[in-house]
Amino acid sequence: MSSKDRQAESKLPPLSPAFFHILLSLGEGERHGYALKREISRRTEGKLKLGPGMLYGSINKMLELGLIEESDDRPDPHLDDERRRYYRITNYGRKAAQAEAARMRELAQLATTTFRLAKHA
Amino acid sequence: MPNAPFQLKLHRFLLKFYPAGFRDDYAGPMEREFREELAESSGVFALARLWVRLLADLAVSIPLQFLREVFQDARHTLRLWAKRPWQTGFAILALAIGIGANTGVFSVVNALLLRSLPFQDPSRLASLGRFFPPHGSAKEFHEWRQQSTYLADAVLIEQFDVNIGEVQNPMRAHLSYTSWNFFSILGAQPAMGRWFRDGEDEHGNNAVAVISYGLWQQLFAGDPRALGSTLRADGVPLTVVGVAPAGFNYPSNSDLWKAADYSPGNNGWETIARLKPGVTWRQARAAFAVEADRLWPQRTKIGNSEHYPRMTSLQDELAGPVKNASLMLMAGVTLILLIACSNIANLLLARTADRATELSIRSALGASRARIVQQLLTECLLLSFVAAIAGLFVASWTTSIAAKVQQAPLPTQSYSILDGRVLGFAVAIAIASSVLFGVFPSLYVGRVHGFGARGSGGTRSARLVRETLVSAQVMLTIILLAASVSVGRAFVNMMKTDRGFDAKGLATVSVSLDGTTRGVKGHQLPYFEETLDRIRRLPGVRSASETEFLPLYATGFVGGPFGFDGHPAKQNSTMVPVFSDYFKTMGGRMLYGREFNDAEVRSDANVVVVNERFAEEFGSAADALDHEVTLGSDPPCKIIGVVKVMDYMTDTMDTAHSNQIFVPAHSPGGFVSTFVVRVDGRAEDFLPAIRDTIRSVDAEVPVFGVKTMEQRMADTLARPKFYHTAVLFFAGFALLLAVIGIYGVVSYAVARRTHEMGVRLALGATPVGLRGTLLRHGLLTVAVGAFFGIAGAMLTGRFLESLVDGAKSIDLATLISSILFIALIASASIWAGTRRIAQLDILEILRIE
Repeated sequence: MSSKDRQAESKLPPLSPAFFHILLSLGEGERHGYALKREISRRTEGKLKLGPGMLYGSINKMLELGLIEESDDRPDPHLDDERRRYYRITNYGRKAAQAEAARMRELAQLATTTFRLAKHA
Repeated sequence: MPNAPFQLKLHRFLLKFYPAGFRDDYAGPMEREFREELAESSGVFALARLWVRLLADLAVSIPLQFLREVFQDARHTLRLWAKRPWQTGFAILALAIGIGANTGVFSVVNALLLRSLPFQDPSRLASLGRFFPPHGSAKEFHEWRQQSTYLADAVLIEQFDVNIGEVQNPMRAHLSYTSWNFFSILGAQPAMGRWFRDGEDEHGNNAVAVISYGLWQQLFAGDPRALGSTLRADGVPLTVVGVAPAGFNYPSNSDLWKAADYSPGNNGWETIARLKPGVTWRQARAAFAVEADRLWPQRTKIGNSEHYPRMTSLQDELAGPVKNASLMLMAGVTLILLIACSNIANLLLARTADRATELSIRSALGASRARIVQQLLTECLLLSFVAAIAGLFVASWTTSIAAKVQQAPLPTQSYSILDGRVLGFAVAIAIASSVLFGVFPSLYVGRVHGFGARGSGGTRSARLVRETLVSAQVMLTIILLAASVSVGRAFVNMMKTDRGFDAKGLATVSVSLDGTTRGVKGHQLPYFEETLDRIRRLPGVRSASETEFLPLYATGFVGGPFGFDGHPAKQNSTMVPVFSDYFKTMGGRMLYGREFNDAEVRSDANVVVVNERFAEEFGSAADALDHEVTLGSDPPCKIIGVVKVMDYMTDTMDTAHSNQIFVPAHSPGGFVSTFVVRVDGRAEDFLPAIRDTIRSVDAEVPVFGVKTMEQRMADTLARPKFYHTAVLFFAGFALLLAVIGIYGVVSYAVARRTHEMGVRLALGATPVGLRGTLLRHGLLTVAVGAFFGIAGAMLTGRFLESLVDGAKSIDLATLISSILFIALIASASIWAGTRRIAQLDILEILRIE
């Protein structure tokens, strides 16, 4: 783990829904922008539809933050356009996504406890 | 899919709105995706949904990406600045002064010429100058205005300073006599009470007054019972019928307005009119000229256009005294800004050339030209932005000086930078200048990018651009230098003018007997005699006298076509009533004969003192004694003295009325009388004692204008002095910028050509020889600038002549000395810029290579 990763891990930022979904999609494998968009839309049953500006704006920012990186590998050159850019999740990105998931889990637990108690009261 | 090529084209066009960096990276994928989505969307409904979503996405993401890149570039810029704090500080300072001075002067131009007057439909208000409509009676005047074919309405105004207030606490106030319709033509509403009514300006009905809001507060503490109360103006009781709204002080800071008193032959009236609806200014002027010819045929025969009746817009008339000066200053500050811009352009160009390596690496890494230009423009805009903020301080300082030097004619016209138009102007010139100095580095980037040239910043054309910029600077500097010499010379002449009196050690205090018990015939002379007697007895007072017109302050013209032994003089003479010892006190120079004695003043003897100019019109000044001054059927007066010309005009260059006839002040106190006192020591120290002495004679007489003669002169000359200082400052600043520019170009050239210099030295060239070559080359650049500068200076000179009193077109000698001066300064800075050559270590340079 690079020192940057270590330093960043200590203060992993909360992720926006768009970032989180992008990381989730990339967690399954490398994807290009348009595939990401479709995957997210499918995953959320059409509830989160990222426009091109927001999608690439997020990708740009995530590249800058080191959450994802560009990949030179092509899954299957015959099936895909070589000019497309592929992205993959970085270690740091994986950690940030895990941290976000943990945060969500805690939140969900808190909500469950709170409302179950409230119900009984 | 309906019309896909068009939609693709539209999409591609919309992508152009993204900032360059983002566009470089993502325009391709975005376009591809759009193509796919377009292919998948079938039906009008799906297409509409696609476009709505796309537009919403663009609307949010474009500004977001812009902000991101601007912040990125700004951070980058700040890092660059931190590396070169001096250079950056200088650029910001130069630009701040340029933008600030422009904004400050513009605020004056804005207040005087652009902001409309606070009256109803002000663009239709006209001032009829040197024109007297029929005004023998109210009926005559109102009939004239009602029958006018081109004027909807017209008013007459006459202004005076009067004594008002309590017997024990007299004060001076500015009173305007007006025809009854004065307020209605301006569309003003009273704060309380009413304006004058139709017929109230007829003789016998006109003892009514409207007071200003300020006077209402001052005299009545805002008590509504002021209405109906009686106010004495120069002893004449007036019933207060209305209070003007706060801030309404037109004309000339009036404190109160009284219904007019018409009399034939009064030439003190000013006429303000409103054009008839539908009548254009051109038509109105033509009709006015015809009417002026008809009413005053003899006036047109004077042949002196200065005295020809003229119709101007009220706005221009009010701006009159400062309009030209403001325009001159505006031109000066614009030149300054241009010089600052060309200087900064040069600086940035050098910096960009230095960064050629960095830029070409970035370009190799995929940054498009647009991306790099965008970054440079952000840098320029940031520079302008910081400079504009600093410039606002300079601007507010400039405005406060302007307000001191030349007050705005109306309170609502106060110069302020907190005005939408002024701030807009500041922003506009900040952006314009950043574009101006940003364009050269940007063009340069295009070249770097185009050739991918690494570090080849010293190419020939880049050098040409830099040298052209220096030439332009030299040109502008010569124009400013020549202008400053021209204005400066006019000013020095004005200051050097022999005024015919000695202002040092001279105290002056004014009184007015109007409306007081002393103002009655027969009571005036004893009052002055007693007062003078008391002043003369004050310790430290050498001599004292009194005059009805103080030099430099002869605001009204009293006099006439005096003749010499019955022969008429070529021009009118000013008549100045004075007491005994006047010339002795003023430090005037009696060339021949003597001045009046007390007995002659008391007996109103038929004696006069004439000035040299009058006497010389009829032969030698020495022979004028004992001849007679004649005026129509008045008894002739014997000339008992000839005195050196005393400067009686506020505008010193105007010598039209410089013939002076001094007469004994047998019945003084007519308007404003001024005691003049010559003292031992500083005149300031005597002012309180003199004032108290005058008050001790009669507390009912208002005492004002308690000033030394030097203070009065400083007040009068404040404006020309300001212009002079301003122009001198411009020239100095321009020179400084030019020197820095030349030095920068030369030292940069030396730095870039270190290797070449090393080789040349190794081949036997001497450092002095090399520096000489650079000097010759640098001076060539200066010479090109000077050539165009001469042409510019000639044109400017003509422009200045029409704007500034006494400014003369630049003569050859001035021009040559300006150019030599620039050449000298340039040589010095080139020599300093090349000093590195002398320190070059050949071995070191060649080893590095």
